[in-house]
Amino acid sequence: MRLRHFTFLLPTVLIFIAAAQTISAQSLDISSGGQPTITGAVNGSVTGSASVLNDLVVTVDFGEVSPLNTNTIVKVVVPIALRSNQPYQVSVSVSGLNNGNVQALQASDIGFGLQNIRKLGGAGQDCTQSTHIIRSPFANDPALNAAIGGNGRVTYASSLANISGSTIILSGPVLSKNNSIKRQQSDGYVFDAVFTLTPQFFSAGVSSATLVFSISSGPNVPC
Amino acid sequence: MPRQTSSLTKKSILLLTFLMISAVTCLGQSTTGTVNMSATVSKFVEINSGGAVTLTGNSGGGVTTDGVANSPLAVSINLGELGPGNTNNFVTAQVPLKLRSNAPYVLSMTATVTNSGTTASRIGAADVGFGLGTVSRSGIGVNTTGADTNATSGDPTLAANGSVNATTGRFEFTGVRSNLNAFSSATTALSGPIIMNAVPRSNANGLTVPAFFAVKPQFFENGTTTISVTFTVTAP
Repeated sequence: MRLRHFTFLLPTVLIFIAAAQTISAQSLDISSGGQPTITGAVNGSVTGSASVLNDLVVTVDFGEVSPLNTNTIVKVVVPIALRSNQPYQVSVSVSGLNNGNVQALQASDIGFGLQNIRKLGGAGQDCTQSTHIIRSPFANDPALNAAIGGNGRVTYASSLANISGSTIILSGPVLSKNNSIKRQQSDGYVFDAVFTLTPQFFSAGVSSATLVFSISSGPNVPC
Repeated sequence: MPRQTSSLTKKSILLLTFLMISAVTCLGQSTTGTVNMSATVSKFVEINSGGAVTLTGNSGGGVTTDGVANSPLAVSINLGELGPGNTNNFVTAQVPLKLRSNAPYVLSMTATVTNSGTTASRIGAADVGFGLGTVSRSGIGVNTTGADTNATSGDPTLAANGSVNATTGRFEFTGVRSNLNAFSSATTALSGPIIMNAVPRSNANGLTVPAFFAVKPQFFENGTTTISVTFTVTAP
């Protein structure tokens, strides 16, 4: 009797595993795209995995951003890897930056842009009928697009203030060439999320924010 | 027998669930990632020169090291002749100061006066008038909310701030904190609210205020006098 059950269960289990893999193979994946970097910081740092096989978990400390930091700008570049075998979209949400004092650090004081979309590890799906589109206004390096506003405060072409709820920042056709069920060193795409903060006479204090990047099924564009 | 079958079915379901979870977990895929960020803004204050020194009423002397706007304050002034040979009413040096902060500030001052003379008629700290003039907060990026408190009596040459002592005949600066004797140790001269809004350091605006130093030429004991003044701004 037990042997009969076993002989019944074994193929059943294998079928379920195969089904799970098939379902997951249709999945979308976001992960670290490499080692994040920081420049222009005083007592600042950025931590995150250099391996594209690891989850995207990055901690950015911009450090001192009062005029005690005499650098022109603090810039952080976070590579983010994407994989999918279907059209996708990437959205981001931000929380935690709620300074009531307008002279304190605000969402608009943190420049945020995307650039440098490239194949992950040199391999990825080549689509000729659709392109990967960075949604407006995020297609820029905020460090190169900082300006002084009418009130003397630094402004950016795009910033965290442009994020409202879950905001789509990127979309496009299928990303991966192979139907792999596991994260690969290659076969996908990676882009750089760029964050900037210009030291200014902000009101004193410590500010923090959390950004959540999500990948999901996107507009059904052809490859 | 039915009980055995039921037990086996439960075990099978558990096994299947476990295997399904394991299969998905092994894929190591995720649809979300997080970036946590933080930044620190410390209190910041600074004092710089507000521009060139103005020296008036002097006989001889001159500005040895002038002030340069937005550069560290390091001014050197030769007040010239302070005896009766100088027939002007006062020798006055006006030194522009520029303050900037992202927090409420306090400007204090310490002064020392040394003289080669040996008698009571030598120039002393009380013979050097001092005061801060009109405070100006103007320009893009400067906070104009709130009021600054001038702890001095302003221009020491004003009639209200000094007069000849009817008994000794010596001219005295009598206003509140109107001479350097009041600043033998660090003493507040000016205080106020945040000076700068959230603008970068490259913004050259700030709070400007003239510091007046004045000496009434008199029959002081002859000799040389050195006056040293240090301004310090803090964010308590």
